[in-house]
Amino acid sequence: MKRIKFFLLLALVIFLFSLPAFSGKYILYITIHILILSVFALGFNLLLGYTGLLSFGQAGFFAMGAYACAKILLIFPSLLVGTMTGMIAGALSAFILGFLCVRHTRIYFSMLTLSFGMMIYSLAWKWREVTGGDDGLVGIPRAPFEIPGVFSINMNPMGNYYYYVLVISLVAIYLLYRLIHSPFGLTLKGIRESESRVAYAGISVRHYRLLSFTIAGLYAGLAGSFLPPLENTVTPPIAHWTHSAEPVMVTLLGGIHTFSGPIVGSVVFYIIKDIIVRYTQYWLIWFGAIIVFLVLVFRGGIVIFLIERIWTLMNRR
Amino acid sequence: MIEKLLFQTLIGLSFSMYLWLLAAGLTLVFGVLGVLNFAHGSLFMLGAYATFTFYGKLGLNFWLSIFLSLLCVGGIGVILECLFFRRIYHIDLPYQLILTFGFILIFDDLVKMVWGGVAMIPPMPRFFEGNFNILGRPFPYYNVFIICAGIAVALLLWMILEKTWWGRMIRASASDREMASAIGINIPILFTNVFVFAAMLAALGGALGTPVRVVAPGIGTAMIIQAFVITVIGGLGNLKGAFVGAIIVGILTSYGILLFPIFELFIIFVVMAIVLMVKPQGLFGK
Amino acid sequence: MAKKMTRRKFLKDTVVGGIALGTSLGSYRITYGQAKKPPGPIKIGGQGAISGAHADYGWQMMAGATLAIEEINAKGGILKRKLELKFMDEELKPATAVKNARYLVTDWGADFLFGIDSSGSAMAVGPVLPELDRLCFFCHAATHRLTEELVAGKGIKQIFRMVAPVYQDALAAWVFKDAPEIKRWAGINCDYEYGYVAWNLFKENIRKFRPDVEFVAAAWAPFWTMDFSSHIAAVMAEKPDAIFATPWAGEGVMLLRQALMLGVFDKIQIWWQCMGGSVDLLEGISREVAADKFKGKLWATARYIHNYPATPENKTFVEAFRKRWGKFPNYSAEASYSTIYAIKIGAEKAKSLETSKVAEALEGMELKTPAGPRLIRKEDHQAIYTVPGGKVVHSPDYPIPILGDLKIVPAKEYFRHPPFTPVAATK
Repeated sequence: MKRIKFFLLLALVIFLFSLPAFSGKYILYITIHILILSVFALGFNLLLGYTGLLSFGQAGFFAMGAYACAKILLIFPSLLVGTMTGMIAGALSAFILGFLCVRHTRIYFSMLTLSFGMMIYSLAWKWREVTGGDDGLVGIPRAPFEIPGVFSINMNPMGNYYYYVLVISLVAIYLLYRLIHSPFGLTLKGIRESESRVAYAGISVRHYRLLSFTIAGLYAGLAGSFLPPLENTVTPPIAHWTHSAEPVMVTLLGGIHTFSGPIVGSVVFYIIKDIIVRYTQYWLIWFGAIIVFLVLVFRGGIVIFLIERIWTLMNRR
Repeated sequence: MIEKLLFQTLIGLSFSMYLWLLAAGLTLVFGVLGVLNFAHGSLFMLGAYATFTFYGKLGLNFWLSIFLSLLCVGGIGVILECLFFRRIYHIDLPYQLILTFGFILIFDDLVKMVWGGVAMIPPMPRFFEGNFNILGRPFPYYNVFIICAGIAVALLLWMILEKTWWGRMIRASASDREMASAIGINIPILFTNVFVFAAMLAALGGALGTPVRVVAPGIGTAMIIQAFVITVIGGLGNLKGAFVGAIIVGILTSYGILLFPIFELFIIFVVMAIVLMVKPQGLFGK
Repeated sequence: MAKKMTRRKFLKDTVVGGIALGTSLGSYRITYGQAKKPPGPIKIGGQGAISGAHADYGWQMMAGATLAIEEINAKGGILKRKLELKFMDEELKPATAVKNARYLVTDWGADFLFGIDSSGSAMAVGPVLPELDRLCFFCHAATHRLTEELVAGKGIKQIFRMVAPVYQDALAAWVFKDAPEIKRWAGINCDYEYGYVAWNLFKENIRKFRPDVEFVAAAWAPFWTMDFSSHIAAVMAEKPDAIFATPWAGEGVMLLRQALMLGVFDKIQIWWQCMGGSVDLLEGISREVAADKFKGKLWATARYIHNYPATPENKTFVEAFRKRWGKFPNYSAEASYSTIYAIKIGAEKAKSLETSKVAEALEGMELKTPAGPRLIRKEDHQAIYTVPGGKVVHSPDYPIPILGDLKIVPAKEYFRHPPFTPVAATK
């Protein structure tokens, strides 16, 4: 059984790597967006599914990563530097704001993160000299992926940029997976289940929460840093709370309590939206209805529900 | 300068009243039902659309239109609570928030489908045309009306909660649901009542705004964040706090436009963050 | 209730996810894959704001284009091929606009793009056009930077702007330069680039004519402002003679209604509503205009008004539009209508649909359009045509208010010319 699953996973990875060979630019473009949302949502779910904290301000850190990457690329067009700057920006801002947030829990935590996220949004909107205001930053180059003196790969073809995002995303996903199954991850789950018990065992709950928040911010910043080279532009709406709602939605779609829930949710989200938009301009109502339906009926996420059914069927011997 | 500030204060006060009507329902639902309803702004919007239709399109009397709008949105509130919200009282916060978010999307598109996406505005009722002369400047009758209406609602709510038997039940259920149920209060019906009442408050806010503001998809959601800020500042579940909070936010925003045009968006979030960090229960919370 | 996370579960989930991804992308491939292009219809992809307080503009763009396409198809199409239109919602978000542009070209196969309401979206889509190798005819986005920076500056030749940009808003400087009693100006402006630039251009130009003019106050209203009372109050506190206002569409209507309520029109002498000549705004204030609430003090312009010029071409267009849609055409409708005809003329002159050839054919050409003669300037691909400013009046000939008392200033005078110096885009 394990062998089959291993090969299926391998097949998926091979499929992703061979996508440019038989797909048009638009599909690659959408897949990059799916990867961005997946990384974003995975970080978010570290906070929610594993640490039990619902953050409504992750878009703020996504925006920090995006704007930081954009500013760097405008002066020093090297893709790797841009991506790393985005990650650091996301992590750093999360660390600083996290200090103020993790002392609270539940609804107060959520509201605090909401307000910080919106503060970053107002900054992005108002601070014209730095962020370009409502125009945002434009003309951001899709800088080459290079290590000076060693190699330089042109990223303008969509296929090349796709590989860059794919490889980094897969690495990031894998690292997070390992993190979750490490003692750190188990402690987080313990905190989610019962704070007092964990504290009794001598562990500083607040420190673990802060670390979790920082990592979520790092992933948000990483996801954000993929955006400017793709779109050549960064504008304030990416920091708005409605953008923070996206990782929440897709994680719920895919399933909060599974590792790959956010990823599956991202895929389903983009596909549903893209398909609906072709037939009607009223896609929001369908989307809203799907969300309501999912929450009321399939609370574990639709995928988990299906998997359980399929699995029990398959496992009947 | 003092005159400018005073006048700006009055303007801010009228703006506060819309916020108060929105925040009152929001905080009531949270305090009693324990649900933070993102879609509360949509009820505000529906109230505006309903009044626009009755008064602007069908030409009915202004007061009658408002009354009918309250009934319509109240009806929608019944459906929402009985069919949907009732099932989420016991589930985790993230799911609650996401469900209510889903309703924002549904209502926004629904409204577009029925009325079209274009912004609309009805005529001003004849008897409200005109101004008082305050501090040497014209201050519209309608703004005075709004301020009075807001204060009247505040007094009404206070009376209901403190002096009536229904109000006592609400307060009891808010502080201890199990105990309230044990002494015979029918919780499900009470919850529906409260939800519908809150929906009507939001609808009233939207309805009163129609002669002066545009009716368009998303107008409620644009204000919901400010309503959240107000409920946090005042204390979740605390009506007095919501009233004071609304006044603070409305007047601060108004000052911001006059004095610090760069930071007005920023200010209210900073205030909310400070309140959350210093006294998370809010100014009037316990 | 936590589920035990095992490697099995992870693989299980990834498998299902992979199958989902695979089948859906695969189905994309089958339906939308790399088909060879037989000479089917010429595809024209557009986008605009179809929802929100500015929804009329996107609709008008679509309506104008549809009318032109129907007319052209009835006469045989372009280069013997019929035209097909697809119009999407840009949601006034740059990210959505770029995504739509990519979808329309790479997936749907658009030969030409047009539309776009928001300046932010325009600035985002512009730089992507060389990669997509398609011309885009912008029908609304007003930012001067689109043509001045991206075309004249960076040489992105795929950009064409058919509509008058923010230069039009500053027309007030020419209209009121000879009014000696108007000295103190105040501004109620949009708190984003459009507002900053319109106000700055106006100030710059009126100072040239009237060094005695003072700017006594400015209030800034962000997007989604519904209550302008604070802004109006802040500005009226300084007792201006005239007000320059940029909020447009539904926001413009609200601003004027609230200004009426606050008795502004008793105190000031002139109110210049930049895009007040736009059909949706005129409709919104028609009752008040009929009752002469504005006391003849409300002036405006637009990027085209249906009653100017009084040429047979224009009359035919307006009548055809009203017959087809039951409304008066807005400037975005006229722009998109002219765009489709421009594409026809350009493609026929170049005898091809190739991007560079059509662009070359259109440069320097003067088109005959409902708005009058339109010159497509070579340096920045900006269409130059004259739109007057006028007083908002009630007219017995029309069901909605119109601009009357027209002050006509030739476009060459108030449009900016290369070489371009930067305009301050801050408050």
